[in-house]
Amino acid sequence: MGAVMWIEVLSRHGEVASRSRIDAPQAHVGRAFDNDVVVDDPHVAPHHLRIVRDADGALVAEDLGSVNGLYAEHGAERVPRLALGGAPGQRIGRTVRRVHDAARPGAPEKPHLRPRAHAAWAAGLAIAVVGSLLLVEWLAITTERSWNVMLLPIVAFAAFVVVWSGMWALLSHLFFGQARFALQLRIALTGCLAFLLWDQLGEWLAYGLAWRELDDYASFGVWALLAALCYGHLLSIGPRRLPIAMGIIVALLASGAAIQFASKAETRRVVGERATLGELKPPRFRIVAPATPERFLQASDATKRAVDEARKREPPSGGPLDFDPSD
Amino acid sequence: MRIAFAALLASAAVLAAAQAPVAPGAPSGPLSSAAEQVYEMAKPRILQVRTLVHAAGRQTTIGSAFVVSADGYAVTNYHVVSRFALDPKTYRLEYLAPDGGKGELRLLAIDVAHDLAVVKLDRAGLPYFEFEPRALEGKLPKGERIYAMGNPLDLGFTIVEGTNNGLVDKSYDERIHFSGAINPGMSGGPVTDSDGRIVGVNVAKRLDGEQVGFLVPARFAAALVQRARAGAPLRVDKAREEVGRQLQAWQAGFYQRLEKEGFRDSTFGGYRGLESAAPWMTCWAATNADQVPKPRVSIDTTRCSSGTGIFVSDRILTGRVDVIYSYHQAIDLNAFQFAHELAQHAAASGIDGGRRLTEQSCSDDFVRDERGARPLLRATWCMRAYREFEGLYNVTLLVATQDREREALLAQLTMQGVSESNALALGRRFLEGIRWAR
Repeated sequence: MGAVMWIEVLSRHGEVASRSRIDAPQAHVGRAFDNDVVVDDPHVAPHHLRIVRDADGALVAEDLGSVNGLYAEHGAERVPRLALGGAPGQRIGRTVRRVHDAARPGAPEKPHLRPRAHAAWAAGLAIAVVGSLLLVEWLAITTERSWNVMLLPIVAFAAFVVVWSGMWALLSHLFFGQARFALQLRIALTGCLAFLLWDQLGEWLAYGLAWRELDDYASFGVWALLAALCYGHLLSIGPRRLPIAMGIIVALLASGAAIQFASKAETRRVVGERATLGELKPPRFRIVAPATPERFLQASDATKRAVDEARKREPPSGGPLDFDPSD
Repeated sequence: MRIAFAALLASAAVLAAAQAPVAPGAPSGPLSSAAEQVYEMAKPRILQVRTLVHAAGRQTTIGSAFVVSADGYAVTNYHVVSRFALDPKTYRLEYLAPDGGKGELRLLAIDVAHDLAVVKLDRAGLPYFEFEPRALEGKLPKGERIYAMGNPLDLGFTIVEGTNNGLVDKSYDERIHFSGAINPGMSGGPVTDSDGRIVGVNVAKRLDGEQVGFLVPARFAAALVQRARAGAPLRVDKAREEVGRQLQAWQAGFYQRLEKEGFRDSTFGGYRGLESAAPWMTCWAATNADQVPKPRVSIDTTRCSSGTGIFVSDRILTGRVDVIYSYHQAIDLNAFQFAHELAQHAAASGIDGGRRLTEQSCSDDFVRDERGARPLLRATWCMRAYREFEGLYNVTLLVATQDREREALLAQLTMQGVSESNALALGRRFLEGIRWAR
């Protein structure tokens, strides 16, 4: 028979508030009770809209001469007639409705995620993160070996990850209807693992390449990782308003990175580089070939030029990091 | 390690100085008659030197001085007049005589290395001090009573009886060790024998000892007076350049002397490093063996210092060389933990000077001398330039051996107020001196 259509009235939040089955070839929509679908919206005319099939059998909405008119669901222009083939939604007054043709096939069934798949992932990631943290700490512990000393920061870190994931789960619950804590935890732990890897990579390369700036500035990569992490969380909550949310997050993180960079640059300007060897690793992790003493000392020429250049500039003054140890 | 605290004696802003009351009824014995005579003779010849802030017309630092010629030449310390020398627009110099006479002082000559200055009074026909010939020849016997004079803490002109203890051992600078109380404000004051002839000039005291004072030997003062008479007087607006020239000349002489004194190999655990053979490079050892709880790395440290220190201004003390070797050996740390521990100790400190120096700039690398069988090193070379004095730098060379996983030698060379070429020469020697122990 193929003449069946369904008309859905959506709530202000975009959820389906009511759904009516229409067995007739056309349907009337309006505030009056002689309509097929009655809409309680003061901005809708008593007989506002008629839904008919055109010559090809496709559904079309027609304005019956209302004051406020007919719009596509996201359209800004009033239209007298609206073909509903592509997008089934249309707006009258302040109400959105969708008309579905029963003849159209439904969307294919989505496979059900294995129950607790996220929880299993999160557990695996948690083991990986805690394991790497313990390894990193153990390689750097030079005081008394004590489980307390090693575990306390991990407990604090775990608490932070749980609170962070819980916050996103709450947001997810508010906007998506489902908390999905395990998924949020999985995303957060993936981020942690990435942070750890990045941090260690910077440290080891800075040693292996004798490149101190790498260690100094690797921390800026963390801001990018943080942005990626927030993107993952937002995507899991739902794609609605994603660009706006991401825009806010990127702006926040960019200002954080800018503040960090500015304070680093200020420290560098005031006190310069520190006379340290940076983080050291066992000698077998050296990557670059050693220089001869001549070449190493020749490189000091650049150092001399740098400080001679600095002599010509006015000494730095002012700013929040202003201090002079000799004062 | 013992730290040598030497304090200069110019007094700046002495506020509410604590005064310990003398117990009432304490028997006050008669003053040494010699001191009484010396003071009587010296009284018209000693002065208080005040550095005044031009705008406020008030003193900001005080010191002492003594007249050495009838036409008004007087000797004091450079550090008493340094503010005026480096910034004659902001400060001016004034003298105050025990009889209440006051007047302007002209700065004629400075000797930064020996901390001396010659000034001229605005009046002539004064009684003056003679230099003691025995002191000029360095033949003053140890134990002889000598008398230090000046105006300590702005309390009034004072005479202090003390003992000559000859030149300080193990010191690059010639300094007379005076056993007697000298105090801030007496800087630049005369020290005479019992005949009232000059044997030295008050300059500094040790803060970690009792009645350990230092005097500049009279011959340097006599030489500077001669130079002030013979040469053109110092142009006050060029004084800063003169200070720079003298610092350059001082470091040239110092590093030449260091080279001449030679170097010797010293063993630190599994490694060797170079040490200066100069007697005035004094070394002190330290260990963490007695640390509680038991350390997980044994660290044996040797610190050597030239003990030299040149006062340039309130903010700049320069001219020192320090060498530190510390041998680290893991007791129960693995290679990763040991490397982390080593990195925490590989940080140079002790060079300051604030904004008077530029910010620090460094270069790092792995270094190996291919000519001989030498350990691989990780090294960093850091420099800061003196803003006010061209061609002078503070340089730090920090080195760690990188050939063994659970032992290493950490070596640090710090040079203050050095030219680039001298820094490179000593730095290279130091770097190439790090070898395996035989």
